[in-house]
Amino acid sequence: MIPEISRRALLRNTACGFGTLGLMGLLSDVQAAEPANPMAPKKPHFEPRAKRVIFLFMHGGPSSVDTFDPKPRLEKDNGKPLPFKRPLTFAEGQMGGLMKSPWQFKRYGESGLPVSDLFPHVGSCVDDICMLHSVVGDSVAHGGASLQLHTGSNTFTRPSMGSWIVYGLGSENQNLPGFITIKPSLAHGGAKNWSSAFLPAAYQGTALGNAGIKARDLVEPIENLVNRDLTPELQRYELDQLQKINRRHAFSREYDPELEGRIQAFELAFRMQTVAPEALDVSKESAATKKLYGLDREETFDFGWQCLLARRFAERGVRFIQCSHSYKWDQHSDLYRLHTKNAREVDIPISGLLKDLKARGLLKDTLVLWGAEFGRTPVAQGADGRDHNPYGYTMWLAGGGMKGGFAYGATDEFGYYAVEDRMHLHDLHATILYLLGLEHTKLTYFYGGRNFRLTDVAGNVAHKILA
Amino acid sequence: MRLGLLSLFALPLLGLAQSPQPADFFETKVRPILASHCFACHNSKLKTAGLDLSTAAGFAPARDRILNVLSYQGAIKMPPQGKLKDQEIADVTAWIQMGAPWPQAVRQKSDRTFWSFQPVKDYPLPEVRNQAWVKSPIDRFILARLEEKGLTPAPPADKLTLLRRATFDLTGLPPTPREIDDFLADQSPNAFAKVVDRLLASPRYGERWGRHWLDVARYADSTGADEDIRYPYAWRYRDYVIDAFNRDLPYDQFIREQIAGDLLPAARSGEVNVRGVVATGFLAVGLKLLAEQDKPKMVYDMIDEQIDTTTRAFLGLTVACARCHDHKFDPIPTRDYYSLAGFFASTKSLSKVEGTVSQLYFAPLVPSDVYQRYEAAQGLIRAKSKQIQEVVAGEMLRRTAALAPRLADYMLAAYQYDLRPKAQEKLCIGDFAHERNLDSAVLERWDDFLKPGDDFRPFLDAWFQALAKGRPAAEEAARAYQKQFQATLAEWSGKLDAWRDKVRADAAAGKEPPDRPNFDGGKDRFFEAVAITPSGPFAIREVSFTKKKLGDAEEKSGANPLFSAEANARIHSLEAQFAALEKASPAQPDMADAVCDGAPVEQHVLIRGNPGNPGELAPRRFLTVIAGDQIPATHGSGRLELAEWLASPQHPLTSRVMVNRIWQYHFGQGLVRTPNNFGLLGEKPTHPELLDYLARRFVEQGWSIKAMHRLLMLSSAYQMSSRISKAQAEADPANLLFSHFDRRRLDVEEIRDGLLAADRELDLTMGGTLQSGFGTDGENSAARLSYDPAVSRRRTVYLPLRRSNLPSLLNLFDFGDATTPSEGRERTNVAPQALFMMNSRFVSERARDLAKELLAENSAGDRQRLETAYLRLFGRKPAPEETDDLLHYLAAFRGKTADSGLKPEDPNLFAWQSVCHILMSSNEFIYVD
Repeated sequence: MIPEISRRALLRNTACGFGTLGLMGLLSDVQAAEPANPMAPKKPHFEPRAKRVIFLFMHGGPSSVDTFDPKPRLEKDNGKPLPFKRPLTFAEGQMGGLMKSPWQFKRYGESGLPVSDLFPHVGSCVDDICMLHSVVGDSVAHGGASLQLHTGSNTFTRPSMGSWIVYGLGSENQNLPGFITIKPSLAHGGAKNWSSAFLPAAYQGTALGNAGIKARDLVEPIENLVNRDLTPELQRYELDQLQKINRRHAFSREYDPELEGRIQAFELAFRMQTVAPEALDVSKESAATKKLYGLDREETFDFGWQCLLARRFAERGVRFIQCSHSYKWDQHSDLYRLHTKNAREVDIPISGLLKDLKARGLLKDTLVLWGAEFGRTPVAQGADGRDHNPYGYTMWLAGGGMKGGFAYGATDEFGYYAVEDRMHLHDLHATILYLLGLEHTKLTYFYGGRNFRLTDVAGNVAHKILA
Repeated sequence: MRLGLLSLFALPLLGLAQSPQPADFFETKVRPILASHCFACHNSKLKTAGLDLSTAAGFAPARDRILNVLSYQGAIKMPPQGKLKDQEIADVTAWIQMGAPWPQAVRQKSDRTFWSFQPVKDYPLPEVRNQAWVKSPIDRFILARLEEKGLTPAPPADKLTLLRRATFDLTGLPPTPREIDDFLADQSPNAFAKVVDRLLASPRYGERWGRHWLDVARYADSTGADEDIRYPYAWRYRDYVIDAFNRDLPYDQFIREQIAGDLLPAARSGEVNVRGVVATGFLAVGLKLLAEQDKPKMVYDMIDEQIDTTTRAFLGLTVACARCHDHKFDPIPTRDYYSLAGFFASTKSLSKVEGTVSQLYFAPLVPSDVYQRYEAAQGLIRAKSKQIQEVVAGEMLRRTAALAPRLADYMLAAYQYDLRPKAQEKLCIGDFAHERNLDSAVLERWDDFLKPGDDFRPFLDAWFQALAKGRPAAEEAARAYQKQFQATLAEWSGKLDAWRDKVRADAAAGKEPPDRPNFDGGKDRFFEAVAITPSGPFAIREVSFTKKKLGDAEEKSGANPLFSAEANARIHSLEAQFAALEKASPAQPDMADAVCDGAPVEQHVLIRGNPGNPGELAPRRFLTVIAGDQIPATHGSGRLELAEWLASPQHPLTSRVMVNRIWQYHFGQGLVRTPNNFGLLGEKPTHPELLDYLARRFVEQGWSIKAMHRLLMLSSAYQMSSRISKAQAEADPANLLFSHFDRRRLDVEEIRDGLLAADRELDLTMGGTLQSGFGTDGENSAARLSYDPAVSRRRTVYLPLRRSNLPSLLNLFDFGDATTPSEGRERTNVAPQALFMMNSRFVSERARDLAKELLAENSAGDRQRLETAYLRLFGRKPAPEETDDLLHYLAAFRGKTADSGLKPEDPNLFAWQSVCHILMSSNEFIYVD
């Protein structure tokens, strides 16, 4: 008979992290009703449309009026002053008049949604994409904006949305982390963007490398996964001896589930050593698949590798996967040259991911989110740049029960403010949770004397975008 | 603008109920709408149109009219900025239909009769039946509750268990074999008391208990948040804390110094109170968003961070909850929050608020005249370096101006060189240049520059398009490029020359000249690529002649072959002056990340926390629930008076909160299990009389923390076994009554330091910093990572912490996030931790080193070797059957290694490494009984 253990204590103390056996066998029937393993799949609040999320983070902030939200008015009024009061910007003092987009837009697919020449390949997938043209955040600086995008708060340390989602739904693969972030930037909040904050550490994101390391140089993407000293057989033999000693130790120490928990944690770790490297190994993918993601070209290799890994993780039931196109999109100047360069690095990998997910039947229950911490101003900064614009910008969603080829919300005719179906980042979070079958007001965690939510006290679901 | 913080702490306890209670509905749906759209004008101060919508009473008169106004149908349309969303109107309508319940009326609140606001009481010692168990007055309080519940305390722990427990507890390290022998040999009744004294006298004690305080003080070596800018001197505060524990600085003085040490007198007049200034690092090293562009918000976020840390750390109160509205549960009105804010608003933590990234304040640890001499010398050095830059800039302009008229020729020559006929294939570029009277090195660079490559360069599009059309088009394009280039050059020269004139004038006048202007690339990307970018065909690799940037030998000579002899001579002479100034400058004085008094601020209440919406004046004073509402006399910022109030022996919270922390770190759980929240939503004390007893003793014993350790550790309660009986497990599974000692997993510092101690690699150097540099690093740079713990052999407390990216080892083992006062470490038990034990280089190295050491003892047999390993890691000797088992394992492992195909250099060492690895990974090492 094991003493009653509070659910919180279990969350804290059972052998999990990136997955576990848990302690089901040790618990009485009453507690077994509660999930002992925090990573065990949990029932959502209602029927979900999507089971997992892939977030393609364009760190730095691509310009909406140059990518997915064309504004003919900018063409007409190029150089003229903005006809209304400009809100707070990041680079006060360097701001100029309206600046037309240097790119042409074309209509794609049956939906005929416009996409600029920066993203011809993504354009070819537009019928699977739901544009969100009216996203709004509260920060004009990268740090606060990135933290708000990832955690809902631009000021305080809060759990990342990936952590909330794994907390809410558990994971479908007990031998892989439930929340993986590939090559995240260490800037603008750094690890706080994938931390579980006050949620149990089991829900923190696992980082594969960081933005400072090229994919090709990432020898050991997950730390401590490889044993350098022993063969698997010898390691097993060593582990058996460890477990024998641990059990002898536990025998005289009754009523302490932690001791057995740690024994199980080693068993799980041993299994993960086999499962995780297989998931990380893209070498057996066909040449056609590699080409689809752009792994055949230097320019697209890095992000293509991230996207291909994302699909492999999605197939294996990882709940939340983030790919980061590292901090490159921040074109305060030299917009034309550098946005072109950036788009060339991601256009093929993104379209490859969407097409591959669709071909494998994964897109229907995988939610792909594209976007950044903010967009860019329709007015010029200096001679050839644009500043940060959190007041109305475009992100997009694909798959997972969304209307494809659909444009939701709108900015004003210059592309500065969201004016129609305004979607604050809290609303985006509420909507993502909704698509996953979670009611955002019910996904709460009690900490420091009160309940917390990803959406704080805000958040409205954008029902119009649901298929 | 929208402030995320406005809604903070407004969230009530909902989430479990299926249909929200009216009160919750108000808090989650309606109050936010009123707050963002109405309160700005209709608050208790402004009462625009006679209406105060921010209270139940004030709202009542508007109740019947509000829906009409919101509907935008009548004459009055509110809010004036625009009609609310349909959903918002629907929510307000639904709420009115519920009868407009205003939850404050129904919410349970604490008041000044709440236990923690009551003076610390003097309770009689409880009577107990089992007198024999009582070693210390503490035991009476514990035993009385146990007897009341019919529970018996666990038997005493055996001697070695107790030694290991106390040694990790006080020093974070395992006992050494010698300490084990000594303790076993000491049969005197006060043997354990001697151990406690020895451990308290060890400098290792401050490193362990100082770290507990650093957790509360959310210590880190960078700002975190957006920029993660280094606190280059935060380590001095860390060292101060370690020293304060080692010297048993009375806790009241510890408070005074951390809040207002800069205002305490120095030992001698005219000197700086170095300790005191450094101690205010407590206020300085918090999380900061220095790139926030809404600067008033940034400043008040920082003040909020200071209020939050100060009040949770010393008072166990969540005062920051009252930033936007009165505290929902505790008697802390918003006015009290801003009264406290006044102390911090009048305190300086930044040297410069304005600018994209605000700048940190660093306090000199020398008298101001000494510091000013240093600053003046640095000003001269900067001025001199600008004089050198001035000459260099002139030379660069001169050279570019000389080349500019031939730009078209260079472009065409590069084009022709690539198209040269087969017969001339061997012709080298030098000859090709010579024929055209061009500089061959420059032409070579043009040739490289104009080769089409992967790099996207839209400014060359016109050139490549012209080339496709043939020679005449190319010539025309080249001329156009030259014309544009010369025009840009003229403009840029004008700007740079104006600066050069200013530098010369300022230098002559003894003033520090302005920084060199930068070329705005957006004006002309072609010009930038050709003449400004160092690799450009017309650029001279920018040479900085000040020693900080001196690179290779060519630059060190100081003579640039592309410069005129006169310029080189001038640079040479300026360089000599520069070197002389550097030599003459006093050494950089010691500095601290600390605070000082700024201009006193008349702080107003900020309505809904919005700095743009000041309300009534909130004069500096202390929390009214404790101090009453009289306004204390204050000097300067008033921090010294604040510190005195916090450190007052009569304060009901200060002593209780600290003794509770001390209890918690010894026993695993506090008497109040929410150490940072002694308010209504915190836990009630499990042993209120004991808490007060300890608080009184703490003050009576001169706030001595070491005296508290002795008091607690010499009790039967501390010395119980960690074995749990069936009765205890069933009756009190959370061990609220402390019927046995709580087994605990080691903290990350103890794991790392303990393993380093086991193979005797631990470097016990104290203090100083392993962090270097200032500011932050590139956004895509791995340099933003914290110092790698695997690289160092120092104790973990000395490893610098970049707040945004703590070492992954620390994250793995529940270090916490170093952004808010810690309530104590979580102790998770997850598979990635097991992977660290199984596969990390660090543990593998420790195991190998220990194995080597064991084998190096030639005279020892294998049994003795195992005994040493057990003593070092587990603090005990192995039982014979354990030894037999491992000896068998050693033999079997050697055999299996031979079968495995692995060919280790030394199969015996390899097997011993495996044994050490097992012991280091075992539960017995990582848990303390």
